Amino acid sequence: MIGTFVEAVPSLPPRRAEAAARPRAVVRLARAAPPYLYLAPGLVLLVVWTYWPLAQTFFLSFHSWNLVPSTPMTQVGTDNYERLLTTSALGSSTVRTFQVIAGLLPFTLLIPLGVGLLTRGRGTVHRGLVFAPMLVAPVAGATVWMFLLDPDAGLVNTVLGTDVNWLNGTGTALWAIVLITGWHLAGFAVLVVAAGLAGIDPEYTAAARVDGATSSQITRWITLPLLSPTLWFLVLMTVLLGAQWTFPLIDTLTQGGPAGSSTTVYYLLWEYGFRSNDAGLAAAAGVLFFAGFMLVAVPLARLADRAAVREEGP
Amino acid sequence: MSVGQVAFTAPSGDAALLRRMSTIRLEGLGRRFGAAVAVDDVWLDVADGEFLVLLGPSGCGKSTLLRMIAGLLEPSAGRILLDGADITALPPQHRNLAMVFQSYALYPHLSVSRNIGFPLRARRRSKPEITAKVGEVAALLGLTDLLDRKPRQLSGGQRQRVALGRALVRDPGAFLMDEPLSNLDAALRATTRAELVELHRRLNATVVYVTHDQVEAMTMASRIVLLNEGRVEQAGPPGEVYDAPATVFAARFLGSPAMNLVDAAVTRDGRAHGPGIDLPLGLPDEAAFPERPVTLGVRPERLSIVPEDGAGLRGVVTAVENLGGEEVAHCLVGSSQVAVRGPRPLGARPGDRIGLTAAPAHLHLFDPVSGRRLTWQPAATTAPKE
Repeated sequence: MIGTFVEAVPSLPPRRAEAAARPRAVVRLARAAPPYLYLAPGLVLLVVWTYWPLAQTFFLSFHSWNLVPSTPMTQVGTDNYERLLTTSALGSSTVRTFQVIAGLLPFTLLIPLGVGLLTRGRGTVHRGLVFAPMLVAPVAGATVWMFLLDPDAGLVNTVLGTDVNWLNGTGTALWAIVLITGWHLAGFAVLVVAAGLAGIDPEYTAAARVDGATSSQITRWITLPLLSPTLWFLVLMTVLLGAQWTFPLIDTLTQGGPAGSSTTVYYLLWEYGFRSNDAGLAAAAGVLFFAGFMLVAVPLARLADRAAVREEGP
Repeated sequence: MSVGQVAFTAPSGDAALLRRMSTIRLEGLGRRFGAAVAVDDVWLDVADGEFLVLLGPSGCGKSTLLRMIAGLLEPSAGRILLDGADITALPPQHRNLAMVFQSYALYPHLSVSRNIGFPLRARRRSKPEITAKVGEVAALLGLTDLLDRKPRQLSGGQRQRVALGRALVRDPGAFLMDEPLSNLDAALRATTRAELVELHRRLNATVVYVTHDQVEAMTMASRIVLLNEGRVEQAGPPGEVYDAPATVFAARFLGSPAMNLVDAAVTRDGRAHGPGIDLPLGLPDEAAFPERPVTLGVRPERLSIVPEDGAGLRGVVTAVENLGGEEVAHCLVGSSQVAVRGPRPLGARPGDRIGLTAAPAHLHLFDPVSGRRLTWQPAATTAPKE
């Protein structure tokens, strides 16, 4: 009798098709719920403290109200916006805000970058010293600077041999504010740059050195491109928050003066709301600034995203 | 596989013009990190065209040694000479050595072509020259289609090739490689190993290659330098290091399973004796041999199974491992573990009593205290081989 070849290994059963019955709706809901429950506390805080006030501001910007709870709000349509856009205060304070941002960038970007590159891989003591101003409360710092900048007995005038009235001159008040804010922020920015530099794998630098690159080539071709996400972060922080950081100093040192020469949009908003008690006007200003900063922030964030380089995996 | 020759030659000016000679010489090189000694008094000559493998367990100082050659680490002692010129104080930029890093260290923001061309760009070569050279290297390594990709878009093997390309692009004096295959999977490692050997053969370049993998060392090296705790344990062609390990450490480090090492004693009749051990050492006829304790070594594949009666080694099989083509039987001889490796089936089962023997030529004797290899010197007593 002649035999026959048979497969020594039984063939695999056909792959099972999709599970037949879908689980019941309640079961599916119970399975899908946990991630949202984990997010819930954060979302609730975000809504209560950010989105709800934003919506209220938007609502308030179409009303007239003097902040007194017993006084009713009256609907005024777009009156607040019209008033805002016809005063010169808005335009000049916007220009000043941009001046503040531009004036802060050397302190939050250029100086920290220079300090970071020069002190790379060295001890942390002097970095701690640079960071110290950040720990000084703005109002306390402002008071000290008030003494330093005093036109008669201030140390600044004594050292420079000048008699400038720094905080009360229309040409100098804003720049004095910028300088003091920059002094506050530079240390923080140095730390951020140092952290960014420490995050760059030293093997890249080692490889570039063996590849024959000079120090300046390594800085330009390797370090700066790899640091760019950090630098973009600092630019974004400065543009979006820089002018806010000046607020406590303006309030303590100049109250927006002299003659409004140190009034930024934030201080203007505050004046409308809490000096003139014109809640509707302040809300309208808030809505406009919010929209304006969105217009600036979105393209900046896009640019930062494009520049971000993901680290090479193992 | 060619056998590396020690070169003591200082290259003449003419030779350097005609063809780049690259000999590396280490003179008493040492490096400390605080109180810890990473590399201790290493003397080494790397001949032109040699594929020298620095082999050793992790922490033996092999990477530290390589980084000192590259100029990335400053030695605490000694000198480094490249083609006879002292480069100890020279920064890495000016050493004209290429290095392949374990992590590859590909610049993540640059494309493959810019990564490969980086060393030429740093040397301010013209754009057309860089493009031509990068294309040439990419073709050699099969990277032509990947030139516009970023490193993160490449597989591990492709990244490894780019790292190699960056080293090849500028005809360096010598190649330094720091475990370049350790991040590849086993199959890719085997093929890349063969490719590296082929590349070395074609370029005839000097390579200093760091690895902890004995297979890489055995298959690629023209000479192995085995390092242990910052010192050179043994240097020689792979066959020599394997067949005549200078120390117990060398004997243990190469081979899988490692060489069997059992405590024994040489007796007056020139045989090795111990619990379950009675082996002739094949020494020339002498009236009487000096008695001394030894560590007896024999490779698992050099042992053969014989009838227990009168066998040189007698023991009990404790486990048998099936490697597919071969089997490894683990036996207890006296109180020592002894492994036997041979074609499957070995014919041993756990629990069996077993007799083993080995030809005298395949027995190694070591001093049990110093761990150094012992050889028989007819005129005098046995002395440690230096």
